[in-house]
Amino acid sequence: MELVWYALLGLFFATYLVLGGYDYGVGLLLARGASPAARRAALNAVGPFFLGNEVWLVAAVGILFGAFPVLEGELLSGFYPAVLGALTGVVLVTAGVQLRSRPRAGSARAAWDRVVVVGSLLAALGWGALLGGLLQGLPLRADGHVAGVGHLFTPFVAAAALAMLALVAVQGATFLTLRLPAADAPSAGRLARGLMPAALVAVAAATVLGLLSDRVRAAVTRPALAVLLPLALVAALLAARAALGRGRPGVAFAATSAALALPVALVGAALWPRLLVSTVDPAASLTVADAAASGPTLSLLGWLALPLLPALLGFQAMCWWVFRGRTDGRAPVYW
Amino acid sequence: MDPLLLARLQFAITTSVHFLFVVVTLGLVTLLVGLQTAGFVTGKPVYERLTRFWGQLYVINYVLGIATGIVMEFQFGLNWSGLSRYVGNVFGAPLAMETLVAFFLESTFLGMWIFGWHRLRRGVHLALLWGVALTAYASAFWIMVANAWLQHPVGYELRDGVAHLTDFGALLTNPTFGFAFGHVVLAALVTGGMLMAAVSAWHLIRRTPDFLLFRKSLRLGLITVALTVPALQGFGFAQFGPVGQLQPTKFGGGADRDALVAEWTARFGPGDYTPPVLSNVGLGFMILIGFALGCVWLLLPLLWRDWFIRLQFPLWLVLFALPLPFVAVILGWIAREVGRQPWVAYGLLPTGQAVSPVHPGLMLTSLVGFSLLLGTLAVTNWVLLARHAARGAHDPALGRPPAPDTDHRPDPVFA
Ligand code: HDD
Ligand code: HEM
Ligand code: HEM
Repeated sequence: MELVWYALLGLFFATYLVLGGYDYGVGLLLARGASPAARRAALNAVGPFFLGNEVWLVAAVGILFGAFPVLEGELLSGFYPAVLGALTGVVLVTAGVQLRSRPRAGSARAAWDRVVVVGSLLAALGWGALLGGLLQGLPLRADGHVAGVGHLFTPFVAAAALAMLALVAVQGATFLTLRLPAADAPSAGRLARGLMPAALVAVAAATVLGLLSDRVRAAVTRPALAVLLPLALVAALLAARAALGRGRPGVAFAATSAALALPVALVGAALWPRLLVSTVDPAASLTVADAAASGPTLSLLGWLALPLLPALLGFQAMCWWVFRGRTDGRAPVYW
Repeated sequence: MDPLLLARLQFAITTSVHFLFVVVTLGLVTLLVGLQTAGFVTGKPVYERLTRFWGQLYVINYVLGIATGIVMEFQFGLNWSGLSRYVGNVFGAPLAMETLVAFFLESTFLGMWIFGWHRLRRGVHLALLWGVALTAYASAFWIMVANAWLQHPVGYELRDGVAHLTDFGALLTNPTFGFAFGHVVLAALVTGGMLMAAVSAWHLIRRTPDFLLFRKSLRLGLITVALTVPALQGFGFAQFGPVGQLQPTKFGGGADRDALVAEWTARFGPGDYTPPVLSNVGLGFMILIGFALGCVWLLLPLLWRDWFIRLQFPLWLVLFALPLPFVAVILGWIAREVGRQPWVAYGLLPTGQAVSPVHPGLMLTSLVGFSLLLGTLAVTNWVLLARHAARGAHDPALGRPPAPDTDHRPDPVFA
């Protein structure tokens, strides 16, 4: 039962990174100083999906609280600065995207766009730091609490945060290639291809720093999987680049999405059966089984929530289907 | 600085801001469902225009509901890690239900509703709004189940100091749940109705165009308030029964309280087990506001032959009364939440044990940061709401028909 909920937690968080990833990516790209019309077009492309994307995060934290209460407390408070940053970013993007078109003046809209850029930046860096921090372990004491937050300030965590930022930017540009009107897509495609080298460098830097860090080497129980992660990321990025070159944005988007989902899966797998690896007292590490809620709670949640899962996924799929295809002159405008 | 104090302050500030917005969401969405359904059934264009105008205000308001809600959700883990550690097995279940099911669907539906005008069939579009409303109520339901459990923990057993769920049904039949849920929902309807009436009154005072439209929404708002206020009062007074019995320390003294304090002193050691005085101060004002809003019945006869509008002063009264329900909801929550101090879960988990062992400096940063951030966003949001309310109903961005274009719907490119 724990395993099912653990997998669901991973699924929801990974889907959030994929879907929220293009929101933030598009948000970051608003910084390019493009014309108001181009920014309008970029936001139209995200339009109908925006509200449905971020709920994956809300649901993931719900699962975290319901099914893994102990993990919830220690994870969020143990990575306080990273979570604070990500949360501020999410709030800024949420408010910025939805409010930016309410004022009529161009200057006010530009100011809101800057809010969205900063928010996207913080969100990407924050989630990257959290995933990196998980891989390098944290000072979990025998009393079950995390001692301080200094453990987060390492080169590896910084590199992981930057790698996430680069992946998110690539994801945003690829999404735009897929969604913008056919006339504007090629320039988005060139942008996505141009961002690839930066993403590759960031992933490589994080890999090297991870290999050099003895904390990362100590925390990972399955080194083979941990090495697979950067390799898979590089493969996905190269595949995306090739697909963009051949004018297949759909394939490219699938590849960049995989690049955002893979880190979640592989971090989970590389640490399994542990969730939080203690750097000060190996016995204090938190395993999936310790962190899970007790049996009655899990089965209750299973009875109440699992039957609804098809409906949740079905309505999301309906949203994607109704608003599929490229935006055009008739696309609904609201944000 | 004491991290406990900081964490409590942060919770109080962020939840209060959250509630100021969700109370409007919950109230307005109900009225919107009525408006859009009326439009669907009668086919009269005025209802479509009303739906777009109020829908636009609803959607602007919704933004802060989400933004603050997300902060709320993370705050449990950031600042109250003891809460999830000791009572997460029980308290987490309703919260998980709420976020996993209710919010997930609510926002998905709302996104489709906002962008689905002129694109989806009218019936489907209406069904989406019904979905938004039902899931909003579902979220209020589950969050109140969770909160009621903190007020009066039931259906659990303690093993090694950790609460484990034994009887989920008990959470739903919790005596601190039913009346409180009804009271909160009715408070939302009163607030939504007041907002509708007050914005309409403003337009009628200024004699902006669209007299008929705002006359209609003035009536709808006033009648909603009139019908819900008595029930709100009823559910309010009904709460005194269970609360007085189950939480003797909340509203004043008596033998029950002294017995309970003696029992706690024996179990948890000596300490101050009475809530801060602050908790009861607001209660009386809330009740006064409840009776003041009840006076709407005195004005209702003036709706006959539009005397309400012709006399002007009733319009001003409605306009000036708009802050009242907002003040009342905050006072009510302060009574409920501060009144259960010093417990996070009444009689089970003291507040001090639930707070995260986080460095006070960090906690202070988050308190100041989020208060400023959410405060700024809230004020900006209200300014935007006021501007949009003032702009009137002639062409809201929500549901604007697309510019005529020869382009037909293109094929999907996903491949
Ligand atoms: C429009 C807002 C509004 C108005 C006019 C009233 N209330 Fe209220 N009240 C609320 C909005 C509210 C609330 C914000 O929704 C609360 C907070 C917690 C809850 O369950 O509802 C609340 C709490 C609350 C509580 C605290 C319950 C507890 O501590 O567990 C009591 C005893 C009452 N109310 C009683 C009343 C009475 C007797 C009223 C008038 C006749 C009244 N309320 C008017
Ligand atoms: C939306 C309306 C709400 C408001 C305005 C509100 C207000 C408050 C206030 C003022 C406090 C601080 C009390 C003190 O420190 O003296 C508090 C604490 C708290 N509330 Fe609420 N509350 C609301 C709803 C909820 C709900 C629905 C839950 C649970 C699902 C909840 C859970 C908590 C917790 C865990 C604390 C921290 C521990 C404590 O100080 O008791 N609150 N709230
Ligand atoms: C009585 C108290 C509460 C009520 C009635 C309530 C109701 C609502 C409603 C109706 C929404 C939808 C968005 C909006 O209205 O603008 C919302 C949003 C949200 N609330 Fe609350 N809420 C309460 C307290 C809380 C608490 C204590 C939490 C913490 C877990 C919370 C977490 C959230 C989250 C995460 C969202 C955003 C969901 C989204 O992305 O759509 N709420 N709340």
